[in-house]
Amino acid sequence: MSYLEYSVNSVPSGFRKILFLNWPLILLLFSVAGVGFLMLYSVAGGSFSVWAEPQAKRFAMGLMIMLLAAMIPIWFWRNISFVAYGLSLTLLLGVEFFGTVGMGAQRWIDLGFMRLQPSELTKITSVMLLAAYYDWLPAKRVSNPIWILFPLLIILIPTFLVLRQPDLGTALLLMVGGGGMLFLAGVHWAYFAGVTAIGASTIFTVFKSRGTEWQLLADYQYRRIDTFLDPSSDPLGAGYHITQSKIALGSGGWTGRGFMQGTQSRLNFLPEKHTDFIFTTLAEEFGFVGAFSLLSLYVLIIVFCVASAIATRDRFSSLVTLGIALTFFLYFAVNMSMVMGLAPVVGVPLPMVSYGGSAMLVLMAAFGIVQSAHVHRPR
Amino acid sequence: MIRTPLRPLARILPARAKGENPDAIERENLNRRHEEIEAKARVRAESRLLVLSVSFLCAFVVIGGRMMMMATSEPSEPLANAQGTVIANQRADIVDRQGRILATNFETHSLYAQPPQMVDPLAAAKGLVQIFPDLDEKKLIKNFTGKKKFLWIKKKISPEQKQAVHDIGDPGLLFGPREMRLYPNGKLAAHVLGGASFGKEGVNSAELKGVAGVEAQFDGYLRDPANGDRPLQLSLDLTIQAAMERVLFGGMRLMSAKGAAAILMDAYTGEVIAVSSLPSFDPNDRPRVSIPGEDPSENPLFNRAVQGVYELGSTFKIFAAAQAMDLGLMNPETIINTRGPLQWGKFKIRDFHNYGNALTLTKVIVKSSNIGTARVAQMIGPLRQKQFLAALGMFDPTPFEIVEAVNAQPLLPKQYSELSAMTISYGHGISTSPMHLAAGYAVIANGGHYVSPTVLKQAGPQLGPRVMSPVTAAASRQMLRKVVSEGTASFGEVPGYAVGGKTGSADKPKPRGGYYNDKVIATFASIFPSNDPKYVLVVTLDEPEVFTLGETRRTAGWTAVPVAAELIRRVAPLLGLRPQVEPAGFGGVTLTSN
Repeated sequence: MSYLEYSVNSVPSGFRKILFLNWPLILLLFSVAGVGFLMLYSVAGGSFSVWAEPQAKRFAMGLMIMLLAAMIPIWFWRNISFVAYGLSLTLLLGVEFFGTVGMGAQRWIDLGFMRLQPSELTKITSVMLLAAYYDWLPAKRVSNPIWILFPLLIILIPTFLVLRQPDLGTALLLMVGGGGMLFLAGVHWAYFAGVTAIGASTIFTVFKSRGTEWQLLADYQYRRIDTFLDPSSDPLGAGYHITQSKIALGSGGWTGRGFMQGTQSRLNFLPEKHTDFIFTTLAEEFGFVGAFSLLSLYVLIIVFCVASAIATRDRFSSLVTLGIALTFFLYFAVNMSMVMGLAPVVGVPLPMVSYGGSAMLVLMAAFGIVQSAHVHRPR
Repeated sequence: MIRTPLRPLARILPARAKGENPDAIERENLNRRHEEIEAKARVRAESRLLVLSVSFLCAFVVIGGRMMMMATSEPSEPLANAQGTVIANQRADIVDRQGRILATNFETHSLYAQPPQMVDPLAAAKGLVQIFPDLDEKKLIKNFTGKKKFLWIKKKISPEQKQAVHDIGDPGLLFGPREMRLYPNGKLAAHVLGGASFGKEGVNSAELKGVAGVEAQFDGYLRDPANGDRPLQLSLDLTIQAAMERVLFGGMRLMSAKGAAAILMDAYTGEVIAVSSLPSFDPNDRPRVSIPGEDPSENPLFNRAVQGVYELGSTFKIFAAAQAMDLGLMNPETIINTRGPLQWGKFKIRDFHNYGNALTLTKVIVKSSNIGTARVAQMIGPLRQKQFLAALGMFDPTPFEIVEAVNAQPLLPKQYSELSAMTISYGHGISTSPMHLAAGYAVIANGGHYVSPTVLKQAGPQLGPRVMSPVTAAASRQMLRKVVSEGTASFGEVPGYAVGGKTGSADKPKPRGGYYNDKVIATFASIFPSNDPKYVLVVTLDEPEVFTLGETRRTAGWTAVPVAAELIRRVAPLLGLRPQVEPAGFGGVTLTSN
């Protein structure tokens, strides 16, 4: 059902909309951000001004953006999704030419008032465009090969640009998130099975060829893959983060060492301790209880998003909410897995907790769209 | 799938007949179709959502489970050498025959740096230089601030040094446990023990491997973890070894020799009770090996007792006499023509002094007449001499169990001619190690059996094949005794221990042929007590020189013999031998002194 087909009159208007916001979701976002402030305060050695304060300011700004986005009708977002996607692609291209190099990769673009990471923006805009596309596309054409070509392009163009930066983590997240959208939209099983089979056989062939005459990659590339897949083989080099964060998690135990008592993260053993690896600080200081609580908060956010998506009969609203939930899920799942050594280290922040502006603002804006979908759902 | 036609004629025709608009029916049908598709899409979307939710749940369970697993795990330090081999680090001890420690292991630490973790590289470098003055501060700073992720600073540090480095407090300075080999007795028995060094090294451990001596010879046994609590027991006696090294060192200095070697061997078991080579070294801190161009025998690592081969001179004469008696060619009283010089082709054999025209066989040995011995050798002939010397083990490296022993391949003339036999009979033209000589004298001492010199403790006598008859051995012993009591080794007399032996002073060969006339190897090979010998002692001095009674003396009688006598005087009580009154003519009753 598209918004054109339901009565706009049944949607609350003006300030009445505030009453119809998804308040539990906002509460959850507040709690997660609160955990983030606490951890940033601790990592900075008990100083509020180093990381926690700028983060809090950005959260306040993000809250404003979210409320603003929630007030705007969801059909507006549907209609501008193509423009938003085009804008984010332009910014991504801009990074190629005017980007600032940070952490060994070109990722930032300076907008004057803030430094934006367009790849973060692209994650959301591509989800929006895909949702709008499948909202527009008649259901009977969804599995038609020609009509699958467009969404593939929507996913692959930004993926390629992000890979060039190079930012493998974000590229993977874009691909998986986009693929998830296609899956939710109802594209036939066979396509996913086919892609999985091709991918698996490629990987198998590459590894099978190792050491034979027709070896597909150079030896050093294989060695890189080895360390990528098993960081513990090089504990002082590539695997250093992982080793140290494992020690931190192990020393946290059930209840942790207590707030501000984490040694591993505070004695500078950990690189990126306030960004990608902040979870280790949490796990060390609050132990399993703290880490599991954060995970539960995240999962609750997902649950509320999915519930909201089920409740709405508007296809765009439903798809965009699920897509954003999926993106959010990929953030924390990949980050936690990577810190705990379940997945290779790729630069993915812990959403709403890791220090970083772009991710926070973009995610808050995305939740604004989720709220908008919730407020403006057909009744 | 059966498609419903858009224009269901069955309904349209009657409708048309009734005059109704068929388009309405068509629109209604279209709407129904749309709703069907919508409903189908909704069902599909719901199933997809279910799949997604299930995968969310799975991820939640996996991540939560992992959290629990890690929370309950004990944190462990990373292993730097994760794929490295397992390093055996329990090397077995080495003990002497009484069970006293000769070599053991010692816990120490290595010091390394991980510059990326350093807080203050400059202060760390400065602090390190204060603790280890031999480090170069500039180089350290360069390493600490450069791209290096890892570097060794010290391989072994003491606990005090470790504490001092710890006090610098830099997290980038780290310690790895190290097991090092410790020789608590320092230089004692250095050449036998050899030494150990680190093989493969990791941050957390290092392989210990033997590089010389028994450490290398028995490396396999020592490093086998199964033998960790079963030490390797040597035949050496620490007390006697210490006494020997002390006396030998004094003797070497007194006689102005540049090197010395001594071997004390049990004549029946072949056990080497003490063996020493000077100059020596400390196996805890092995000196560098000699570089090409250097004379390796000048290096303190060189083992003169086992590794070095020398012409040992007149000490060999007793073998010629013994063989002649064993073959029945002579008896101790056989008169031998000693008129000199003995001419053989262009070669002339002379004596140190003129001993007149004729001597008995005993006197030939006692006076050490080259001419007399050469005549005996002429009677024996090269073939039989070769067999005899081979049976004494003079042609092969000794089986002594240190890795250096195999290098001591005796040097022999290319053609074993009659002349060779004559010179070899008085110890020229054959080069052997002092260990060979000790094994040869053990045959005479134990009554005619060959024994293999060994460094391992034996349970009892290890008599090998018979080389000479007991009667010959007894007669030879009597001759050796007379050399001390009335011959060239008169300084060797130690009251109560009936020392018997034979001196040998061989001119040292020049590197390019010919012999020095002012450099000798002075050797005294002895047995004691000679009426019932238990031990063989060989003392060799390299280039001794002593000014006595208005003359510079180099011969063994003036140099090696007094040193050996002093050694026996000191060592015999430690061996449990009591001074005894010598039985007259060996045949009588043994009288204890009172």
